[in-house]
Amino acid sequence: MGKANMVPAASVSSDTPVFDAVVVGAGPAGSATALALARAGRSVVLVERGPFPGSKNVYGGVVYGRVLDDVVPEWWNEVPVERWVVRRSTMMMTGTQSVSVDYRSAAWGEAPYNGMTTVRSRFDNWLATKAVEAGAQLVTSTVATGLLRNAQGRIIGVRTDRDQGELRAKVVVACDGVNSFLAKEAGLMAPAQASHHTLGVKEVLDLPGHVIDERFGLRGDEGIDIEMLGCTRGIPGGGFLYTNSDTVSLGVVLSLTHLAEAKVRPEELIADLKNHPSIAPYLRGATLREYAAHLIPEGGYDTMPTMITDGMLVAGDAAAMTLAAGLWLEGVNFAIGSGLAAGRAVDRAIAAGDCSAKGLASYRSDLEGQFVLADHKRLRKAPHLVLSERIQQRYPGLICDLVDGMFTVTNPVPKQGGLRVTRSAAAKHGVKLRQLAADTVRALRVFG
Amino acid sequence: MDDTRTGPMDDTRTGPMDDTRTGPMDDTRTGPMVVACIRITDLRPQIEPLSGTVVREPWSTGLSPADAAALEYSFRIAEAWSGHVVVITAAPPSADAVLRDARALGATVLRIAVGSPSSDQAYVDELGSDERAMAGMIVAALAPLGRPSLVVCGDRSSDRGTGALPAFLAHELGAAQALGLVAIATTDQESMVVAERRLDGGWRERLHVPCPAVCSVEGAGVRLRRASLTATLATQRTEIPQVTAAGGPGAIRGAGSVGPAEVAVGSVRPFRPRTRVVPGPDSDDPRLRLLALTGALVAHDPPTVVGPIDAAGAADALLTFLIRHGYLDTEPVGEEAAHEGTR
Amino acid sequence: MSAAGGVLGSGHEVPGGIWRGISFEDRMSTVEFRVGERAHITVDSDVCRSCTTKACVTACPANLFAPTSEGGILFNYEECFECGTCYMVCNHEGAITWTYPDGGQGVVFHQG
Repeated sequence: MGKANMVPAASVSSDTPVFDAVVVGAGPAGSATALALARAGRSVVLVERGPFPGSKNVYGGVVYGRVLDDVVPEWWNEVPVERWVVRRSTMMMTGTQSVSVDYRSAAWGEAPYNGMTTVRSRFDNWLATKAVEAGAQLVTSTVATGLLRNAQGRIIGVRTDRDQGELRAKVVVACDGVNSFLAKEAGLMAPAQASHHTLGVKEVLDLPGHVIDERFGLRGDEGIDIEMLGCTRGIPGGGFLYTNSDTVSLGVVLSLTHLAEAKVRPEELIADLKNHPSIAPYLRGATLREYAAHLIPEGGYDTMPTMITDGMLVAGDAAAMTLAAGLWLEGVNFAIGSGLAAGRAVDRAIAAGDCSAKGLASYRSDLEGQFVLADHKRLRKAPHLVLSERIQQRYPGLICDLVDGMFTVTNPVPKQGGLRVTRSAAAKHGVKLRQLAADTVRALRVFG
Repeated sequence: MDDTRTGPMDDTRTGPMDDTRTGPMDDTRTGPMVVACIRITDLRPQIEPLSGTVVREPWSTGLSPADAAALEYSFRIAEAWSGHVVVITAAPPSADAVLRDARALGATVLRIAVGSPSSDQAYVDELGSDERAMAGMIVAALAPLGRPSLVVCGDRSSDRGTGALPAFLAHELGAAQALGLVAIATTDQESMVVAERRLDGGWRERLHVPCPAVCSVEGAGVRLRRASLTATLATQRTEIPQVTAAGGPGAIRGAGSVGPAEVAVGSVRPFRPRTRVVPGPDSDDPRLRLLALTGALVAHDPPTVVGPIDAAGAADALLTFLIRHGYLDTEPVGEEAAHEGTR
Repeated sequence: MSAAGGVLGSGHEVPGGIWRGISFEDRMSTVEFRVGERAHITVDSDVCRSCTTKACVTACPANLFAPTSEGGILFNYEECFECGTCYMVCNHEGAITWTYPDGGQGVVFHQG
């Protein structure tokens, strides 16, 4: 003890801040913020509405841990990993066909590793425990119900749903997830828009570890992550499948607006995927362990809220920091990155004695300077392109038919030339070669 | 923390932070002692379907509904008696988070250190352990704190529900026992509580339980209160006093050689309206009788949807409906009569 | 036959594939919900009567919304994933009010 985390007097009725910071939400962003602040010797309370960190959280694939290099040296030796991803597959599908691009790297299976699969209840607990060990105070089963403001309207803390539940602090860091009620209350975020969100539904299926190894060509703690396009009945989105030690997680990500219009139930689309001839053999005999659903902020850079106001910062999903750009599907790394940056910015602001938006401004420049906002900015047009009608509905089928045309042996009819196959496949799917070329250029601009 | 205290004799307060406590945190340990004896477990352990291995995660430990009810009743009774609550459990250190929550609610907490069932074999060994010895250990650990007036347990836990421990505890304490209760309430005398227990067929019996007593409760009817934020923060880093598994059966006994006092059984009848005899259709024509029975040609009231309303409103709506259709006398019976009469 | 009806390749073939065989109840029974006393969702059925899309009915992954014959919406809150889909797809301002459940209550994901 002896550090800054002494408990304040019970009933402070003035506006005097009692803690340096209150962090709302003990997910990756919140725990990283609390960790950075506690390491800097600041008093910080981490408020979590679930019974334990991670109990409300769902992710869809891979956690890239390199963001932890500076804060937890050799994190890979202690992080609760399921499997290290050494294989990445991108699968273009129609109802009966699929074309995969499969990459495998031995280097990804060695320290410092590229990406891992994990279970969020374990991972989020691990990170929150790091913050607690550094001196942060974690309060679980507590909802932050609103912001506290002083007579001038400046944010001075949060209200919670417990008795005597006011927490006064110099800065509030809202890491309260995709629905962030705090960011909305602070006026930093526009009212929720379905068009900027996708719904992820996921099944975790029991499958013995050795069976996973055999079916996916893996050994030991090696894992695979498959991203799929064209498996959602034309609803913009995609599918994913990744391996854990003795479970396989499989799900779909669906554009909310189109899902609502299509009048299809989400679990129907998972059922479709599980019955697909390219996926079903992987899952034979698997039983459902847990079903889950979660929203993903997918609008990208252009839909991010204002992240800074007087006495408050926003980080993680609350700040729409997931990169859902087709080939990339990242979120946890951005959450940690933004959390660490928020922690640093709050520490600097407190040291300078200015917790206004101006004093906290280094948060934004810090994010711009590193991958968190740089990646989002570079790929700002990607969500639009990836969720566009041609990419979603026409190209998967076109590519499948193209490959079909190349490899289906039509003896005694002679083989067709490549261009002819392309042209007929494109015509079948209503794509003009001109559009194909234009989209290629667009893709090069967006991703290149 | 200033020092490491392990004995149950020690004040459980640790460190200066507790001095700021207010309200329910003040436990000066005066008045009768109510003990909540609870089991803290992983409420939803993972079971590997092929090997049957049970995986328990330390962070998902919690109280089963029955144990939460036991804790809530302990607080209610201690409040009514102006007494204090002692929470005791035999568990590995992963239980400390739950005990800190109980601490924040104002209870004195105590953990008997038992090994963490890290392996399945250890868990099975623990399952097969002697519950009588466990009861002896609990009674011995409680002895330095005083003699409990009432011990409340959950009637089952999610992972091992033999329900035998309360009986062993009662034996060790020489106390009366009333098990499997759905409610406990105080009476005007401190030497007696009234309890209700479910019987078959919707019946209940009411028990007059003389103290000291050991009661076990079902996980129904009450919810565990939540600690204030101030108290929760104050107990964040409280060390939970540990007692190592020592002592044994017979460390303390009930006062004197007299056996435990008898529980007196009263009863509470459930509310059961009498069956109404509906006369058969009065006609010689089978077709008319059938029509009368099925009501095929009779005009019906369309079903009414009585929007989402609160429980009291719903009860009133139901009663009105039943009275209107002749299933209830217009003179309501029993307590409902008094209630209705005031309207 | 598996009890849960979810084992691939071991049950009878249901039209549309074996995986259709898992009932929605079985699916939801794999998730832990700590049900609070307060309903964290409320629906103003008067607003719903004028709604033609009723997107919440199909989009909610937990299937919590049911249309009534009178054109309103009946809702449950107990087995809610707390995702927020319902209020985002709702095209009528204020028809669905959605907050977080009380602290410690609601869905508990173990395999997220």
